[in-house]
Amino acid sequence: MTERTIRVDYLARVEGEGAFRLRMTGGRVEEAELRIFEPPRFFEAFLKGRSYAEAPDITARICGICPVAYQMSSTQAMERALGLRVDPALKDLRRLLYCGEWIESHALHIYLLHAPDFLGYPDAIRLAKDHPEAVARGLALKKAGNAVLETLGGRSVHPINVRVGGFYRVPTREEMDRLRSVLSGALAEAEETVRFVSGFPFPPVEEDYEFVALTSPDEYPLGEGTVTSSAGFTVPPERFEEVFEESQVPYSHALQSHRRKAGAYLVGPLARYALNHDRLTPRVRQAARDAGLPPVVRNPDQSIVVRALEVLYAVEEGLRLAEAYRVPPRPAVEMPDPVPAAEGVGITEAPRGMLYHRYRLGEGGIIQEARIVAPTSQNQARIEEDLRHLAERTPDLDEARLTSALEHAIRNHDPCISCATHFLKLDLVRQ
Amino acid sequence: MERSTEPGEGLPLVIGLGNAHRRDDRAGLEVLRRLKDLLPGKARFLEGPEDFTALLDLWAGAKRVVVVDAVSSGADPGTIHRIVVGPEGLPGTLHLTSTHGGSLTEAVGLGYALGRMPDSLVVYGIEAEDLRVADGLSPRVEAALPRATERIVEELRGPGPSRTGGGPPHA
Repeated sequence: MTERTIRVDYLARVEGEGAFRLRMTGGRVEEAELRIFEPPRFFEAFLKGRSYAEAPDITARICGICPVAYQMSSTQAMERALGLRVDPALKDLRRLLYCGEWIESHALHIYLLHAPDFLGYPDAIRLAKDHPEAVARGLALKKAGNAVLETLGGRSVHPINVRVGGFYRVPTREEMDRLRSVLSGALAEAEETVRFVSGFPFPPVEEDYEFVALTSPDEYPLGEGTVTSSAGFTVPPERFEEVFEESQVPYSHALQSHRRKAGAYLVGPLARYALNHDRLTPRVRQAARDAGLPPVVRNPDQSIVVRALEVLYAVEEGLRLAEAYRVPPRPAVEMPDPVPAAEGVGITEAPRGMLYHRYRLGEGGIIQEARIVAPTSQNQARIEEDLRHLAERTPDLDEARLTSALEHAIRNHDPCISCATHFLKLDLVRQ
Repeated sequence: MERSTEPGEGLPLVIGLGNAHRRDDRAGLEVLRRLKDLLPGKARFLEGPEDFTALLDLWAGAKRVVVVDAVSSGADPGTIHRIVVGPEGLPGTLHLTSTHGGSLTEAVGLGYALGRMPDSLVVYGIEAEDLRVADGLSPRVEAALPRATERIVEELRGPGPSRTGGGPPHA
């Protein structure tokens, strides 16, 4: 029996620092390990003793790519804990802000990180030399997403304008008009992105995923919803920890999530799309049909097309919200005084999937316990299964090709390692 | 491509990069602060964006851009590197410190591929010794800051290097 080890010590084109190692004997994978060696970051520990009001700004620092997700999950958790009802107009503004983050994060991943895998380039710079118009389109879309963050968040990286109960400042009508024209211009670029990526080669492969995402009756999920699984159950956010658990693995600084008594599951664009296809807009559903996509996509490579559809959705939804904007009477709802001891959970859909926060507050709103489960922790075990299946399907690939196929398979799920260590490097051993 | 029309357009653009909370990584930001004090009105000064793709919009079409950043090439701490950037990009041995959002090296690569480079780009790299998460520069890097600042002042007094050559084919 030949033993083969494939390792990549430092994964490129992912957010943060990680590696993988795969050990095979004959055609069988003995070990597939996604190793996350970015140092642990102890956010949950150092939130203790801080005020409930600081959680959105502290947790936003976990990630430079998806800070809005952290702000949205933490504010939702605090608002549930304190029994606050945020004005619908402020909820709409948060949804618009979240659309901006989806556009920015997905555009970066599609064009600069993932597209080179499909078109045979080692990086985005080489891709840009042959396809400058495509990369320029990606950057233009990203810039439109940045404009949303600047308008609503105060700046494009680590926005600072979100608070428990609403915002510190709401945009003027003129600011929103400028944003509307930016988003209106981005619509054609988003449609072209779906066409561009749907022309990539997709080998006919399907994975048997358990998809888990938020769902809500009338809208594609961003900032709220019920936790829903393709295994056929729904649980309210408060019961998340009863159903899903995190455990330690010796080779990774990130915890791995499983569904109790079931196993690995997948969060992110494929899961959201499968569980919420009928809540996409007619334009996005038409774009999906034109791209040849069924309402449930189990081919992990096609996650890039689903991500592009979500960009189109986020641009269209963002535009709708910007057009409907009326300056709200107040930027935030009143906080209770004094702040009582309480506990609350928040789950929202980060670009990479569900992001769970739970806080226990003592008297005066001081955080006594914080729990954060990032989407990449949830996907880590399922990504390892994708790697195992890929290597067993393609036992004859030479080492270089297998390594790059495995890296591509990891990037299908856009892991954000910085988030998971709150959380990549590849080792392939063949025997 | 949208162009900035802020006052000061036409002046050289000086961009300082770095993370203020990772010891020597703040060297570029420190030099930027000193230059701002020394050359008011003589240049535009910008603390680098955390998102590297934003650099393309900042410098595309500018006449003259100087970037100052901490580097890690194995030279003695405090060594000052001056690189006139050309289409071959930045030397891979320089290990410009980068955020997860990408690096100056990638911004330069994309800038040339997309025709979004300034007419001239000079990078000043200050060799770092310690890039751990902590405050305060290491002594040898701290000691190099006045000289780095002086050299950039002289750079900006001079006529500038010949064209970096990134004019926009896709205007």
